[in-house]
Amino acid sequence: MSAEVLRLENAQKSFGSVRALKRASFSLHEGEVVALLGDNGAGKSTLIKSISGVHPLDSGQIYVRGAPATIRSARDAIELGIETIHQDTSLAPDLSIARNLFLGREPVKLSFLGVFAPLDRAELRRAASALLRRVGIAKKLDADAPVRTLSGGERQSIAISRAMQFAAKLIILDEPTNNLGLEETHSVLRFIKEMREAGHCVLFITHNIHHVFAVADRIIVMRRGEVTAEFVVADADLLSVESAITGADVATLMREGKSH
Amino acid sequence: MVAVSETPPAKPSLWSQALRAPEFSSLIILVIVLAAFAFGDSKFLSPLNVSNMIAFLPELGIIALGMTLLLTAGEFDLSVGAVFALAPVSVMLLAQNADFSLGAALLVGLAICVVIGAINGILVTKVGISSFLVTLSMLLIVRGAALYVTQGFPLKAWDRPGPLVTLLAGSFDWGPFRLYTSLWWFIVLTLLAIYILDYAKLGNWISAIGSNRSAAIARGVPADRVKIWLFILTSILAGLAGMISAFRISAASPVAGTGYELEVIAMVVVGGTALTGGRGTILGTLVGVLMLRAIRNGIVLIGVPGLAYNIFVGAIILAMLVLHAALQKNKARA
Repeated sequence: MSAEVLRLENAQKSFGSVRALKRASFSLHEGEVVALLGDNGAGKSTLIKSISGVHPLDSGQIYVRGAPATIRSARDAIELGIETIHQDTSLAPDLSIARNLFLGREPVKLSFLGVFAPLDRAELRRAASALLRRVGIAKKLDADAPVRTLSGGERQSIAISRAMQFAAKLIILDEPTNNLGLEETHSVLRFIKEMREAGHCVLFITHNIHHVFAVADRIIVMRRGEVTAEFVVADADLLSVESAITGADVATLMREGKSH
Repeated sequence: MVAVSETPPAKPSLWSQALRAPEFSSLIILVIVLAAFAFGDSKFLSPLNVSNMIAFLPELGIIALGMTLLLTAGEFDLSVGAVFALAPVSVMLLAQNADFSLGAALLVGLAICVVIGAINGILVTKVGISSFLVTLSMLLIVRGAALYVTQGFPLKAWDRPGPLVTLLAGSFDWGPFRLYTSLWWFIVLTLLAIYILDYAKLGNWISAIGSNRSAAIARGVPADRVKIWLFILTSILAGLAGMISAFRISAASPVAGTGYELEVIAMVVVGGTALTGGRGTILGTLVGVLMLRAIRNGIVLIGVPGLAYNIFVGAIILAMLVLHAALQKNKARA
């Protein structure tokens, strides 16, 4: 198996008396697409939020490329090469595409001025159009246009190209095809495949099992804050994955139904 | 591929872009308002009247600069009018009654502003109370403090000129106009604010925080820290404006600046900054400041009864906001 990108051991996280994560463990590898499945409240969002630094873990250990890592903030995660595309919240609608692409790591001149350093606007524009061209959406979009003028699919492609831009080792997508049209959904799935080909590891959450079978290599199923099952997509069938998600043994139930 | 060969998507002409910019429509209305007043009363453009307007202008204008940055980040501050009173009252009390040198007293005054701004910022970001409630309470506390330390009376007149007083509120004649050093403060601070909001990395962060806070945080932008500093900055600017005003008229009053918070917010939104955050324009604020000052001044000159003039000010602000909303809708459709 190719090199390990991230490993999580005994991750725990509580919000007040609610134990959102109890002993979740799994590992991710270079060049694989992993789907994270589970019912609402299974702990999927909490899990990726702790890896991306939004909700730091209460206990448990994260290893990045084999070395123990501490992720207390979004910046920690980004510096470790973990890029996250949160559901509907990844972009600032009032900022231009170019400014969104480089938000948090703007190219500046006179960098010793810190936050008061002037943006390198020429470089910002150049890098932004190069990036848009690379992901194949340059023709339609102006890097200076505010993100509010874009469609849902265009926004998702901007967020994904931003993640690819920074050559992240691990790209996490939280329901990337939610609220998208058919064509836009296909372009997002195409992006996911491209990311794998470029050697990134992709972890994505979805409720659409068909998308999982279309692009994923592996499936991780969560239930009640724990990782309860793992499948290799090539060997998995829809029923057994679904029964792992619901916890009911659907396959057995159906066989029993037939035998009567 | 050669970089120059790529054709960016057809852009609307500079002219139509400018026409849609909120600050531009405000500017046109400003010109119309000024022309109407000049036509209505010849005294409106007289050196004396222009000097008067320019003397008042920086005092609200300086606060409006801070308020623009704060609003762009998605928060506002209702305590600025009270800070405008408390800062100079504290400075003059310390200098007159406690034998502080003016320099030391000014430093204490600034420190008070920093503390007020920091408390506002920390309560809003770390405790998570809305800025409306936090700064409304702070307005009462600060105004109450100003009244209590002065026992409700204006302080005795300031009678000690010096370099610091000149720096804050000196005046000089330029042709037929009488100008105050506060105008330089305003110009320099306006340029700084334009630089920060439109050119610096910090401005990108401020707009991003106001536009989508969680997106900014997910990109590693320290949203809470930026907001706390903006509250501190707004408080400092309100205090500075209060000191400039008090030294210009040589007196500090505990009721100075009453109602300024709403007037300043009106100036900022009339200029085109969004009350909901994400979009801010310092040039627009400059237009808004000029407009509201000119309206207050001109309305009296052309003979509108003093008691009626808030009706006009309110109506003009509403008209401006309706115009912005219409333009914004138009833009979304385009």
